[in-house]
Amino acid sequence: MSVIDGALARLRLIFGRRTAESRFESELRFHVDMEAERLVREEGIDPAEARRRAFVALGGVEKHRESLRDGRGTAWLAGLSLDTKLAMRMLVKYPALTFVGVLGLSVAVTIGALAFSAVNAVTATALPLDEGDRVIAIRNIDVLKNDDARQTHLHDMDTWRANARTIADLSAYRIAPVNLLLEGMAPVSVRAVEMSASGFRVARVAPAMGRYIRDDDARPGAPDVVVLGHDLWQKRLGGKADIVGTMIELGTRRHEVIGVMPAGFAFPENNQVWTPLRLSALDFRRGASPSLNVFARLAPGASLSAAQRELATIGERLARDERATHENVRTRVVPYAVSFLDTPFAIRLLHLVQVGVGFLLLIIGTNVAVIVYARTASRATEIAVRTALGASRRRIVGQLFAEAVALTGVAATVGLVVANEVFRRIEQMVRISADDQVPYWIHLEITPVTVVYAAGLAVVAAVIIGLIPALKATKHQVTDNLRGISGASMRLGKSWTALLVAQVAVSVMALPFAAQGSWTWIKMMLVDYGTPATRSFVIAEPLMSLDDPQAPDTMRMRVRQARYAQGVAELRRRLEALPGGGEVVAMSAIPKQSGMSHFELETLPTDVDSIRARSQHDARAPRVEASYFKAFDVPLLAGREFNPADLTPGANAIIVNRSYHAFYLGGGNALGRRVRLRPERPGENPEPWMEVVGVVEDFPRPVGTESYAPLVYLPMRTEASYPVKLAVRAKNVPLATLGDEIRKTAMSVDPGLRFTSIQTVESLMQQEADTERMALLGIMLVGLSVVLLASAGIYALMSFTVTRRRREIGIRSALGASRARVLLEILAKALKQIGLGIAIGSVTLTVIYRLAGDSGTYLELVKMMLELAGLMLVVGVLSTIGPARRALGVQPTEALKGE
Amino acid sequence: MSPRNAPDTLRGSLDLLVLKTLSLEPTHGWGISQRIQQMSKGVLDVNQGSLYPALQRMEKDGTITSDWKTTDNNRQARYYRITASGRRALQQEIDSYRRFHVGLETLLRVSEA
Repeated sequence: MSVIDGALARLRLIFGRRTAESRFESELRFHVDMEAERLVREEGIDPAEARRRAFVALGGVEKHRESLRDGRGTAWLAGLSLDTKLAMRMLVKYPALTFVGVLGLSVAVTIGALAFSAVNAVTATALPLDEGDRVIAIRNIDVLKNDDARQTHLHDMDTWRANARTIADLSAYRIAPVNLLLEGMAPVSVRAVEMSASGFRVARVAPAMGRYIRDDDARPGAPDVVVLGHDLWQKRLGGKADIVGTMIELGTRRHEVIGVMPAGFAFPENNQVWTPLRLSALDFRRGASPSLNVFARLAPGASLSAAQRELATIGERLARDERATHENVRTRVVPYAVSFLDTPFAIRLLHLVQVGVGFLLLIIGTNVAVIVYARTASRATEIAVRTALGASRRRIVGQLFAEAVALTGVAATVGLVVANEVFRRIEQMVRISADDQVPYWIHLEITPVTVVYAAGLAVVAAVIIGLIPALKATKHQVTDNLRGISGASMRLGKSWTALLVAQVAVSVMALPFAAQGSWTWIKMMLVDYGTPATRSFVIAEPLMSLDDPQAPDTMRMRVRQARYAQGVAELRRRLEALPGGGEVVAMSAIPKQSGMSHFELETLPTDVDSIRARSQHDARAPRVEASYFKAFDVPLLAGREFNPADLTPGANAIIVNRSYHAFYLGGGNALGRRVRLRPERPGENPEPWMEVVGVVEDFPRPVGTESYAPLVYLPMRTEASYPVKLAVRAKNVPLATLGDEIRKTAMSVDPGLRFTSIQTVESLMQQEADTERMALLGIMLVGLSVVLLASAGIYALMSFTVTRRRREIGIRSALGASRARVLLEILAKALKQIGLGIAIGSVTLTVIYRLAGDSGTYLELVKMMLELAGLMLVVGVLSTIGPARRALGVQPTEALKGE
Repeated sequence: MSPRNAPDTLRGSLDLLVLKTLSLEPTHGWGISQRIQQMSKGVLDVNQGSLYPALQRMEKDGTITSDWKTTDNNRQARYYRITASGRRALQQEIDSYRRFHVGLETLLRVSEA
């Protein structure tokens, strides 16, 4: 029999185990029938007796079946299915442990899978192009500012092209968002890209129709041409087959469509409109040209590291030769796909995330391990009995491991499902808010690699929580474990005490975040963003297209600002003049979207300590026009609203909301209090003081709960801001068409004005809240599961320790010790460990917060830590009392039996 | 030693007996035990309890193979058949048994003399 035949036969036997067994039984039945008939025939025995004798002669059927399994090498299969069955039964039998374990581990797996997939997605080095890993980005970095020096790229490209042998098809692009104008439709803002013709050669993707941009399209004076993406062609241009050769309008210029790229192509970032890049280094001073992104392919045979070396050398030469612009500039070459991440900050952040995730996995894994270990210890007698009955150590360890695998397997499945859902939601949110800004090759999704990773995590976790305790539990002599009192022989040494202390410490550190997260989450669920005003106003953010490509960045900014202010002012006038009257309010951001600013309150001698402690704080600080509060029905609670005088230079009025008033000013007199912006970096001069002139109600207004969303409103000077958000409503224009009306009006004012999305204030606030809520939900779940696990761990360890001392306690009470005294002593020991944990946790947390330097929230944390300490004590005492009482109930004779 | 119960002598030669029986014609497990008894004129009686494990083992080793057939009295039974490698194994078993037998005979004669 050949090896392959043998293997096939074995596979058939394994997979056809049930069939094989039932056939074997038929065979034995046939044998018994034949033998019984023979006995009746030849020896004249009664049929029933003949049958009995036939059975006896054959021996036990079960024995034969066993030998069939052994003979076919399938015995382990039966063992495995038994282990699985038992493991599943254990999951059901210990529902609390299953719940806590699965919850904790699935949170860990979810976070692990999310981080793993996200890091994988953003650090994948290959583009979805032919030899996509050989496309590279070249960038100059100003090492002093630790920033890009993109204004140097245009001139350096000539040097690179002339000197670098390791790269080919050197190309550049810049994103130039512009309005796409279509007959009878409102203008659409598209993220067009100006790209060198060689960029298409780098991509190596043939157009689906027509041709792509050639070098001569980029020479000065050449007709304006455009290449369209498949998506845009289908969605906006109706997929017209004769699109090539027609004209479309981009901003103010008409372009001839020369080609359509195939579906899925959106190189270099996430683009659907390509026009030629027409920049010449001759038109600019070195180092003051428009910002460009540069990319190329590695020359045939050249490696990434060779290109890195060569370009670095050229860069050093440039730094010597062109001191004025290049003294601190260094050239870097990175795989194109990761170039968007190639900033020290992003890389640090990724590392931080990975370290954080690793730490979290460790904490959760250890916690579950503690609980499972305690349970395994409490099953020492069962294990001993099984050993005595002939079960091998391997068999028992195998079964305990199977139990762990069942637990971690369920958790991994749950974790993957949750991670998948999280990604789905993130994708949804990204699609709404920044669809075309995410590079087209980055997809957040659970890939097969992630599933393998999660399975790996499950196995590692099973080893920690199953295998190690199992090996420990089966190490001792059977007799020890059989002697009577369960767990007596499993020792919890110093390391377990340390673990208990660590458990408490970790919980102390985790709970404040969990509590704060949960509290905010609950509050956010209650906020209603829908008011007559938020439902009727849409937010439109006009942006300016820069269709004067020859101007350098600095000049463009100035030109843009002037043109923008003029355009926005005219747009306002026209919107306000819409039939039936329109209403326009300018602001820097809706409250939820405005960034955090660092403030400092001028303290007064009469201020109480809590105000002093919070005098340095962060708050969102939107700039708004005077009409803002009336438009959104935000009642004035004290003082006044903004007036035109607040916009004059030197004016210093601010308005705070109710939360700010309550939280940072202690609810006392707010008017006349002075606040200033803290300098970004130490050593810088602080900004001038600003004076609170009014207090307004919280907006959006929380329902049924007090709010902690402190806001400082600053007065808005529309003409000096870019970009401005306009809240617009019009009496006779229905909400559904208001967006189009705004786009069309803006187009008639200045074709450079473009809008990304226009939606109601309510839905915008809702979106912001959704993102925030999701993050909070994450924090809350992680924090709560850590605390839950720690509590369960403390409970398990405590009750285990006391159970182990049952005999000692019994003996002591037999010798006359009073019950109260023994109980107190046990409690004292438990409390000592918990107290130590609380102390370590609090000190660590305090140090963290001191380092972070946020004294306002710090006070809150101290309060929460005290609450937490209480909770831990309660858990500790509760978990000690039950077993201790049971121990005290032990009859001295019983306790002494083992001696 | 009763002629019908000679397990000790049988031990080790069960494979030989099974292979020999199957080399004559394919048959089922009960048939094998009956045939051995008939052919040895009642001297050799296979322990039925050890027959099936042996058949399993030999099938796994590839010296015999089996398939299901209908018997004369219209019942389904598993018929065992000797394979080519089984025939080679049978020849080896016979040779080694004969050598053993000759050796044993010689020894007995010496000790009788």
